[in-house]
Amino acid sequence: MIADPLTLLLLTVFGGWVALDGTSVGQFMLSRPVVAASLAGWIVGAPVQGASLGLVLEALHLMVLPVGAARHPEAGPAAVASAGAYAAAGPGAAALLTAVIFALLWERIGGASVQQLRKLNMALATPPAQDALSPRLLERRHLAAILLDFLRGSVLVGCGVLILSFLLTAVTPMWGLGEELPRLLLIGALAASLGACSRLFQERRASQLLLAGAACGLLVLFFR
Amino acid sequence: MRAFPRRVRWALLLRTLLIQGSWNFGTLIGTGFAFVLLPALRHVYRSDPEALEAALARHSAVFNSHPYLVGVAAGAVARLEADGTDAALLGRFKDALRSSLGALGDQLVWSAWRPAVALLAIGLLLVGAPWWLSVAAFLLVYNALHLWIRTWALNVGLAEGLQVGQALRAAPLQPWTHRVGRVGAVLVGFCLVLAVADAGPRPVALLVAAGAAVLGVALAQRTPVVVWVVLTVAWAVGILIGAFRGPLS
Repeated sequence: MIADPLTLLLLTVFGGWVALDGTSVGQFMLSRPVVAASLAGWIVGAPVQGASLGLVLEALHLMVLPVGAARHPEAGPAAVASAGAYAAAGPGAAALLTAVIFALLWERIGGASVQQLRKLNMALATPPAQDALSPRLLERRHLAAILLDFLRGSVLVGCGVLILSFLLTAVTPMWGLGEELPRLLLIGALAASLGACSRLFQERRASQLLLAGAACGLLVLFFR
Repeated sequence: MRAFPRRVRWALLLRTLLIQGSWNFGTLIGTGFAFVLLPALRHVYRSDPEALEAALARHSAVFNSHPYLVGVAAGAVARLEADGTDAALLGRFKDALRSSLGALGDQLVWSAWRPAVALLAIGLLLVGAPWWLSVAAFLLVYNALHLWIRTWALNVGLAEGLQVGQALRAAPLQPWTHRVGRVGAVLVGFCLVLAVADAGPRPVALLVAAGAAVLGVALAQRTPVVVWVVLTVAWAVGILIGAFRGPLS
């Protein structure tokens, strides 16, 4: 469990910021799983654990392209919540597996909350026709929508941390198949995600470029 | 063209960072577009509040663009408003820009630059670099292009106005997309080998990881959902076994 209320508060504030970064403000990629999870782990005092979670989630998210008005899962706050809870619970492959699964579920819930916010923004950002659209009114409504997004992200992260903390404390210790299997499952997930990415870059000679990269990887392994 | 004061240009640039703040299914980023334009409109119509509100109303209508390239539209529209361009022409101009700005940005940024830089971060973690190096490399490399695009977009829009289409065609965005894509393809191969190797040293584990990679190639965009289902089922089975039999060593 996260025993420190200050840490929980920091995570929720960071989560709100990450939610903003996803769409509303800046898009500096603080909301990418590898960044958000590492920093969330750092807030809790275990950045390496956060980064290990972020690594798997980032690979799974490479194929998610925010093109047009498509509905897609929201990775950032889910990564913060999962990494925050996982980093506080202590390392372990079964715990990491639980955190990854939870993050993937929480991303869907986050994505659904984004859709609801966008519907709410229709009422917030487009005042009734009989109201004159004054500059001040437009600015206030636009900024109010941003504030709502921040609050949405914060609540998502706060709830996520608490729920996953409970799962990691009460359910994950029941895991009955050792530590090697979850480790292998997660590496398999990482490998599958990276394999899927081979289709991402539709370039001429893509397969040759892939092989060149693979050769570089083998060189690194040889000298490691 | 009346040049905008530096404070107005800075305000436009900084506000582009907030353009998607009120994204909605009605106007898409229309309201945000008006929010971005406000400093310029206030400057142009500083002695005519009614004209300011009229300009605000026409620029709050439906609009969409890639957020990094929206400065092209905002800068061009600001200049055209300053030049007193006909409102109907402005509307047609915005409609013409919409799809090209979206497509250019999606191809360069979402489909190439972002995944390539993410793979760089993943690769750094897989070779054993410190977590903070991976995060810093991601943020610094990614945002170098991000912030350059935003600034360039606004400057091009303000400078070219109605001729902005020519500037977009002349810009090296397409060649960059291909170059980044080639780097990304190399990084995929690099990360894939390191990820599979992490399963080692047992041959069975390596085979399972390699098989998962091949499955990912076959499944492509369905991979995340399939991975989620497999992990969840495995987790549930492990929990149930543990609950009924107790943990295995």
